[in-house]
Amino acid sequence: MSGKSAKGPRTPDAERRRAYRRLLLGNPGAVRRPLLFLALAIIVASIVSPSFFTVRNAVAVLTSSSFLIVVAAGEAFVVLVGMIDLGVESVFAACGMFAAWLYVIQRQSTGVTVLLTLLLGIAIGLVAGLLVTRARIPSFIVTLGTYWGFRGLALLFNGGNYISPNAVSPIRPFGFSGIAGNLGAIPILIVVMVGVVAVGQVVMTFTPFGTWVKATGSSEEAARAVGIRTFVIKMAVFSCSGVAAALGGLMITAWQDSIYPLTGQGYSLEAIAGVILGGIPFSGGRGSIVGAAIGALVIGVINDVIVLVGLPALYEYIFVAVILVLAGLQTRGGSFVK
Amino acid sequence: MLSVRDVVKAFGPVRAVDGVSLDLFPREVVGIIGDNGAGKSTFLSLLVGFHRPDSGSMVFRGRPVAITSPRIARNELGVEMIYQNLELSPDLTVWENLFLGEEIKRIGIFSDRRRMRNRAAEILRELNLKIGPLDIVSTLSGGEKQAVAIGRAILFERDVVIMDEPTAAVSVQKVEDVLGLVRRLKAHGKTVLLVSHRLEDVLSVADRIVVFYHGTIRKTLRNEGLGVSDLVHEMF
Repeated sequence: MSGKSAKGPRTPDAERRRAYRRLLLGNPGAVRRPLLFLALAIIVASIVSPSFFTVRNAVAVLTSSSFLIVVAAGEAFVVLVGMIDLGVESVFAACGMFAAWLYVIQRQSTGVTVLLTLLLGIAIGLVAGLLVTRARIPSFIVTLGTYWGFRGLALLFNGGNYISPNAVSPIRPFGFSGIAGNLGAIPILIVVMVGVVAVGQVVMTFTPFGTWVKATGSSEEAARAVGIRTFVIKMAVFSCSGVAAALGGLMITAWQDSIYPLTGQGYSLEAIAGVILGGIPFSGGRGSIVGAAIGALVIGVINDVIVLVGLPALYEYIFVAVILVLAGLQTRGGSFVK
Repeated sequence: MLSVRDVVKAFGPVRAVDGVSLDLFPREVVGIIGDNGAGKSTFLSLLVGFHRPDSGSMVFRGRPVAITSPRIARNELGVEMIYQNLELSPDLTVWENLFLGEEIKRIGIFSDRRRMRNRAAEILRELNLKIGPLDIVSTLSGGEKQAVAIGRAILFERDVVIMDEPTAAVSVQKVEDVLGLVRRLKAHGKTVLLVSHRLEDVLSVADRIVVFYHGTIRKTLRNEGLGVSDLVHEMF
């Protein structure tokens, strides 16, 4: 017995269970839930691999997860309005290739390279947003298109080959490679990642725009009824997703000192898994950027453990699938993506 | 306060509103009744800016106005509509819903959350509600949600509040609570346009009752000694 009738009030037992659940997990969309998932992942990882729970490994996990976390932070904005961006991994790769091509092959300056790459990410997001809002094509289909289209574009930049500073003679080291350096003992990639998540969360919590994003996901009719231009909100969130993917592409290019057209394969679904794990339901309307970042970090922890234990990389897919289903169970009740 | 003269609105060959004239005064409740398709909803949509009349005029506080959008209706004329499905964001808190679209800002782009929460708490106390500003709207009862929607009208000092079937989605015990809120709006000096098929509710609170029929106002009645059967007789 669930303790709850279809139309009547909950029984005292059900109320007590609900109260305990709320105490443990917080309200739906709260950060407490993904933190619990992260704690569980760390505990299991530490048991399975004693070398996991060291400062050095923690820094390594945070660094290697920073790209996915930045992408997930952008994806979170889109999911919060009840939509989805499947194309982030291709935008990630295409923007990384674009940056490398601009800097190494076209010999542009660091400033121009970084600016144009981020603008490309924003432009891709705006186009996707236009197709969704004005052409009324479902976001699933539009971003499936960007997924294929920009993967193809990434392959075009250097005939399907990777780009590194060695592509030209004399070699031209990436001017933005400083992003892969350290600030004292802390990798700058981690600082950038924390900065992106912090800015995203501040926008969501402390600006009217953040409220309008959640309102659009919660009830677009209600948002429009009070005068919120929901089509502008949707275009803006796709731009957030695009620029985050572009920044991630820059970051990984600097870190790897090269970029491959197929870099970031699987990031779209991992970012979405991280967002769902972080407490944002597919229907949108509630959740946080910090939660999505924590969810993405759980994915990063799993990836790290798989490497430490020596399991084949394909096990990552199985673990992510299990966690995604478990995460989906805790956000059930939302409708399908719009 | 608001005068509507000979407004017409057609959708193709159908004249949904056909030369309607109506005057609205402060501190009164006007019941709007009529059969389905009588033109009530279309007329209200003209008042809140969802549609523009094909002809006719509107005068607000002595000056001609053109209500071209809900934003103008709300911000410039103080006309607020409370929809039958309430149009609240279920995942947001009470205070976020109260201020949605009209947030109080601080340092330009940031929301003044504390001021909004405090003001929301004041409004909830004024309405004698046992809900808090941080409550999530999806956890509220139908009557509480109705009260939140009414709270917006009080918060932003709307002069004209249009309520579309306010008691339709509310339990029987809560109907009187909602009607009490209507009386409180009137006591605040508002004009309330109450659209309802529940004629007993209209009789309970309305000062005047306007009967719509085939896109026109068939009759305007003062609510003095009227019964349900009188209204039904006028509607058909």
